[in-house]
Amino acid sequence: MNPPPETATLDPKLAEREAIKDINQDYKTKFGFNDPETGYVFKAPKGLSRQLVEDISEYKDEPQWMRDFRLKALDHFLARPIPQWGANLNQIDFDNIHYFVRASERAETNWDDVPDDIKNTFDKLGIPEAEQQFLSGVGAQYESEVVYHQVNEKLEAQGVQFMDMDTALREHEDVIREHFATVIPANDNMLAALNSAVWSGGSFVYVPPGVKVDMPLQAYFRINTENMGQFERTLIIADEGSDVHYIEGCTAPVYSTDSLHSAVVELIARPGARIRYTTVQNWSQNVFNLVTKRAIAERDATVEWVDCNLGSKVTMKYPSIYLMGERAHGEILSIAFAGNGQHQDAGGKIIHAAPKTTSSIFAKSISKDGGRSTYRGLLEVAKGASEARSKVVCDALLLDPESRSDTYPTIRIDESDANVGHEASVSKIGEEQLYYLQAHGLDEEEASKMIVNGFIEPVVKELPMEYAVELNRLIELQMEGSIG
Amino acid sequence: MRLIEVEGVEIGIFNCGGELMAIEDRCSHDDGPLAQGEFDAATCTVECPRHGSLFDLRSGRPKTLPAFAPVETFDVRVEDGEIKLEVE
Repeated sequence: MNPPPETATLDPKLAEREAIKDINQDYKTKFGFNDPETGYVFKAPKGLSRQLVEDISEYKDEPQWMRDFRLKALDHFLARPIPQWGANLNQIDFDNIHYFVRASERAETNWDDVPDDIKNTFDKLGIPEAEQQFLSGVGAQYESEVVYHQVNEKLEAQGVQFMDMDTALREHEDVIREHFATVIPANDNMLAALNSAVWSGGSFVYVPPGVKVDMPLQAYFRINTENMGQFERTLIIADEGSDVHYIEGCTAPVYSTDSLHSAVVELIARPGARIRYTTVQNWSQNVFNLVTKRAIAERDATVEWVDCNLGSKVTMKYPSIYLMGERAHGEILSIAFAGNGQHQDAGGKIIHAAPKTTSSIFAKSISKDGGRSTYRGLLEVAKGASEARSKVVCDALLLDPESRSDTYPTIRIDESDANVGHEASVSKIGEEQLYYLQAHGLDEEEASKMIVNGFIEPVVKELPMEYAVELNRLIELQMEGSIG
Repeated sequence: MRLIEVEGVEIGIFNCGGELMAIEDRCSHDDGPLAQGEFDAATCTVECPRHGSLFDLRSGRPKTLPAFAPVETFDVRVEDGEIKLEVE
């Protein structure tokens, strides 16, 4: 394939027109289709067992230490009870899930070599086109493994590594062994333990000292099979003074029974580095999305999570940042949109563990048609983190009386000179606002959309233009009740 | 691992290939019973059984999150066949 042009960006008007033209297509048509499974290389029977974990490791020809890691993680998973403090996870039938499905032989570097059905799916989702226009590299995961991976040649020449995690384990075993599960140990929580036991796919990114990756790297995750479990594992290391933006998107077919997505994402920002990690989560409404994301920011480093949760049946996700070195900075921007039948339990955690560290958490949630959104967050200033500064803002918007919003903010401060601000609000869409906009010629639906757009605008403006357009479009679909 | 109590503080004593190490039996993350976790004599580390933080027994420092603060360590010596701990 042709490498993406170095400075190309999408014309804003064109992008907006493109985005809006599909506005009335529902999720099922746009994202919710499924492909035939003919040509699949391997599909494990449903259920989780020691034998399955050994088989996955054997199948991937992994070193003994990784097999041991997986088996130990399985024991941790089996020993842990299902958490009862958040969304209702008791409905997940862990025996009714395919834990490993391999749709193609290997990760290709040319779209033409990807099997037709899979390539068509990613064509429909617009991934190859996006790669050409505004990305530095793309990884495309289909079921359990990555089917396509490519990085801009210029970045490759600068030493940037961007590959799927299975390949990284083969080609950079020492680096993986040194860093894997150091940010999120296998026994961190029940779902991290499950991921550690059966992980497959995901991305490995290494950015050498001083290298700035101008355009984002993107990974796209697609579930196709019914009752599928997808357990990717991502590790990003930004070396001293480097800069990288990683974006992930995800969709799945609409089925009547549930699937499970449980990823583990670890970020390490070395001194002076910056990592921005953006998620536009748009799973179909039969997917449990239970993800552990955590970052380390060393001296003068910056980590930013931009986390947009629109799809899924249940999401539990609280990206966290440990500010470990002086003057490290962390930002979490979170949007959750809960429609009918959805529970978005999201938020973020920031831990100030060094002096002069700064942070902000900015969370916005919207609940509609009986949907439920929960903000759950932690802001901690540990002993020794003198002169820390932080601001936490969480706002919830309820669009009708049937919907629900809960806020669970936790703030722990062990330093007397910390400067911490916290604001929270819950608002209902106001009759007066609607009336005012309707008086200016908008109908009620248009007026509601405009209010919602204004509400989330501070987060949307942080996204690259192409994704801001996509997010606005998805929110419009949500407003029409047609996602999932 | 041997667990002892000195003035209300529980301390775990480990034998790393002939070298004795002692740490407070309390994870700096959420006060879990650290010394009762999985001990690896070869790397001289112990893994907290609650959330998996791995601690270096020599320094008391965590090698993995979610713990980030060190736990207290104690000097250990063997005199006349007796293990002695220095506890302030």
